[in-house]
Parts: sequence; structure tokens; C-alpha cells
Amino acid sequence: MSQEEAMERRLKLFRSELKVINVGLETFYKDLARQGVKVVHVRWSPPPKLEKELEEALDKLL
Amino acid sequence: MSIVRNLVKRNFFRDSLQLMQLSEEAKKLPGVVDAAIVMGTDTNKELLERLGLLTDEGASASENDMILAVRVEDEARVDEVLQEIESLVLKPPEEAEVREEEYYSVESALESMPDANLAVVSVPGEYARDVAMKFLEHGVHVHLFSDHVPIEHEVELKRYASSRGLFVLGPGAGTSIINGKAIAFANSVRRGPVGIVAAAGTGLQEVSVLLDSVGLGVSQGLGIGGNDVKKEVGGIMARDSILALERDPKTKLIMIVSKPPDKEVLDRLTQVVGEGKKTYVACFLGKTVYRPPKRLSMRIYPARSLHKAVLQAVKLLRPKKLPTARKKISMKLSELRSLSLKLSKKLAPRQRYIRALYTGGTLMYESLLIYRQLVGGVYSNAPLDERYRLPDPFKSMRHSVIDLGEEVFTAGRPHPMIDPTLRKLRIVEEAGDPEVAVITLDFVLGYGAHPDPVGATLDAIEEARERAAEDGREIIFMAHVCGTRRDPQGLREQEAKLRKAGVVTFPTNALMAFASALVVKKGKIRSDKLRKAYKEFIEV
Repeated sequence: MSQEEAMERRLKLFRSELKVINVGLETFYKDLARQGVKVVHVRWSPPPKLEKELEEALDKLL
Repeated sequence: MSIVRNLVKRNFFRDSLQLMQLSEEAKKLPGVVDAAIVMGTDTNKELLERLGLLTDEGASASENDMILAVRVEDEARVDEVLQEIESLVLKPPEEAEVREEEYYSVESALESMPDANLAVVSVPGEYARDVAMKFLEHGVHVHLFSDHVPIEHEVELKRYASSRGLFVLGPGAGTSIINGKAIAFANSVRRGPVGIVAAAGTGLQEVSVLLDSVGLGVSQGLGIGGNDVKKEVGGIMARDSILALERDPKTKLIMIVSKPPDKEVLDRLTQVVGEGKKTYVACFLGKTVYRPPKRLSMRIYPARSLHKAVLQAVKLLRPKKLPTARKKISMKLSELRSLSLKLSKKLAPRQRYIRALYTGGTLMYESLLIYRQLVGGVYSNAPLDERYRLPDPFKSMRHSVIDLGEEVFTAGRPHPMIDPTLRKLRIVEEAGDPEVAVITLDFVLGYGAHPDPVGATLDAIEEARERAAEDGREIIFMAHVCGTRRDPQGLREQEAKLRKAGVVTFPTNALMAFASALVVKKGKIRSDKLRKAYKEFIEV
């Protein structure tokens, strides 16, 4: 991507209607919805600890 | 005879807001005197101890465990009550409220909203990179609220984003205002000609509400996270934000709010500004005075306080409105003097210390800079000078300025802007110290914050007053409400409640710090020193 294209992408955000995906604290989702922002919420929870440790162990092995 | 009991649920997670709500529900159960449901961090265990709610069982919990703590009237009921609390906790959060627009993975949310242009991410810091990267790979800008994000993750995310024309606002970005919408902790601010780049969350809130108050308003408010201006990150997003605001037709003036950037970052940003055309107000909150290079002195206007930055913007954009703006958000030195003198007459000779209890980190920092010049050494849990670090952040000494949003107070707890519990305890504690003269408080309104922060704190102020009165003393309470009339809590309503309770309110944090210093000094500050500080922090 050229610098000019990158800049255009940033400026496009300022010109566009916000469409938001909220991940984590639900209160931010509610506050955005209250302001009339189009928003969806992702109910996030941490991946199970054991899996993460296993994953890391596997990463090391592979 | 009431009895306290703890139940520990090992490896059990709920986020701090859910826990706060659960605690409130538990307190309402029949027979319950007090209850708290918290993750077993050291801060929370300390809090439980202070509340008289910690037992050996609770003390054994680790930060991955949840503690259910309860005090009940009737010992015979204790097991039953604990069971009821446990079932509250085990109930899936808000199970009744399953909505169409709710998803369980980032991928499914992206599928449902393929034209999403912003993600607001507030997962624990260790997971933030993975979540944020998924959005960047889909061309979505990210506001990253999470803190404790390793700096190498921040650099990786920002480099990736920058090369693709995407913003990563944060990590630890409490506040942004994009296209007039408040993201995370932000206020309802009118749109206007000032674009803000802030590496300081409540700094952005304070300048944006003041810009609103003086009739200017904000085009975009981009919170880039405190680490962005450190050399490890190299100001990647500060630079991208400045470049974008230079090109944004709605932005006439760019305001930068930050602690002083590292030298190499400052040099780099100065170069970027040099290549631009717009006018800047540089509010670098630090011990040293920032002076822009000579060739840019007609484009970069430094300001040593948030208060001054806003008046400077008025002077540059609407010079004719400056007198009105001064009336609205400032005070003359003579006014500050006479108010302070009047207030200090209420004090006994022993009462000579300030206790400033902040929820907003940047507001705390701004006050430290003012106190440093007017009262000298001030203790803090986040001091300007390590010599003045409080040995125990839970215990004030002499002049103390506390940032209750610091990690020691927030690990496993909601931020004090949401949960007033810790500050309320502290207010009452401070009032027990016969040498305390002034207690200052900030109340941050807006989205994300407590629905009625003043109302939730008034009983503690009342209790503190009674405590002092028993001892024949009066404590002076001062407050600054950082908010606008359009905020959900309403600036006017919140200020009115404070005044009704006898609290002296100030339109800016800098004025409150200035006035409280004058009160404890009881008029004994050399007038040249006083005028110098007024000029540096207040006057435009």
C-alpha cells in the first residue's frame, strides 16, 4: 500500500459513519448504542488456561 | 452478633464490572449486612480487610480465584446466604439478555458486520494483540482500551497498522472521540475545529470538555496511549494522527496532550509538524518547560497546563471570544486569592495539608506540577520525584496527591471512575487526620463513567465532615467536575449537588489545584512566585 493510499484510508474513517465491533466490556457496547452508533458486541472470555499452556508447549515442540 | 464468612471459587473468572454488579445484588439479599465479590488480587484482599470482610479462607485466594465475602446478621443463616450468593455468581451473566447483535467470536462478528470500520477492544492485556490483529488484518481500525499490553505487542500492532493506513488507538486508551462519538471513557462534546492527539486519557477528557464549554468543540480526539511517545514505540501513532489531522478539512488547529515525549520522538514529531501547515498547541505536561524550535514558534504554541492549552486555542482561533472564555473557565489571580483567604479562615492552625484524591491520572499529574511550584514537595503514589513516593499508597502523609486509577488500586477492580468504593473509604480516612486542611476531588463524567459519581460520594463527604467536626475541625472540600451539559450525568446537576453539600467547585482542575495550594499556604506565598505560577499554568 502506498503512503497516499494509507493516508486515504485514515481520512476515510473521519468521513464515514462509525460501524463498531466491541470486544470485552459490555458497558462500551451499551454506551455506543446509546449514542446511536451501529455496534455489535462480542462476548469474550479468556481461552481456557490449560489449552494456552498446551498450545505454547506445542509451539515449542514444533 | 454478625458473622463474616468467605467462600473461594478457584480458577473462576468474571470481569470487574460484572463483579461490581454481583456485589450490589448480594448486598440486597435478606439478612446481609455487607458483601463483596472480587477476584483474589492483593488490592482486593486489602480492601476486604479494610471492610472487615476478609477471613483466612479469603486470604488464601490467588488472583485467578474469586472470593465471595459476606457479613450476615444471623449466624444460622450464613450458609444459606453464601449459597444464594454462589448461585448469583454461577448464573451466566445476564442470561436473559441474549441479543441478535451479540456474538461469541471476533470472526462471527466480522461476518455479520463486514463493513465495520472500528473495533473497541477491552480484553485483558495478554490477549489484546491476538484480538486486535484479527481486526487489523480485516482492515478495521482499533481503539485498544486494554492495559498491561506488552510494549513489543504494541510496537508490532502499530507498525502493522501504520503501513496499512490503520489506527491503533491505545493500548491503555481510555478515551477517543471519533466523528463526534464518545469511545470508551469520553464526553459528549460538540464538534468543532480542534483536533486532539492525546497520550493522556483524562487529559483528552479535560481539554475536550473545556473546548466544548468555551464554544470551540472537537473535530477528532485520538487517544494514542501513554507509551506511544516513548522511544520504544517511537511515536508511530502520534505521527500518523498528526498527518491525518493535517489533511482533515474540519481540523483547523491541532492540540497535542502528553507527558513530554522522549527526545528522539519529540525530534521526529517536530519534523512532521514542520512539514505541515496547521497551527499547534503543544501541551506537554512535565517538569521542564517545552520550547518549540524558533522556526516553528509561530505555529507551535506551548502550554504547561490543560487549562492553558484550551485558552490558548481560543486565543488562536477566536481571539475576540477570549474574554468570554476566560470568564467561563478561568479566574483572576485576585479572585483566587480572596476566595482562598476566606476559606483558610475556617482552618485551625494545625490544619495545613492537602489531600488530593484523583480518579483521573492526567488531572492528578497536572496538579502535581502546580503544587510543586506553590507548596513544594508533594507525596504521591505517582510522584514527579522519586523522593516523594509514598511508602504505602494506601496511607497519605503531609501533602499527598493520590492517583486512585493506578494499578495498585485497580488490579482486579473496576476503575474508580466507575466504582467509588475505594475513594470513599479514603475520604473518610483522610478526615481523621487533624493536620488535613483541604480534600480535593475530581469527578469525571461522560460515557463509561459512573451514572452519578457525585451522588455516590456525598455520604462519604458527609461522614468525613462529621468525623472532623467531632474533633472541632472543619475540612474544606473542593471539586472539579470534568464533564459537559450533554453528558449522561449532566455537568450542572453534578455541580449543583456538590455546592449544595458545601463543596467548592472549580471549572478546571488547574484552578482547583491553584486554589487549594493558596488555602493551605494561608496567603503566605511570595507574590513573585505566585504570579510566575499563575502566568505559567493559568493565564492566557
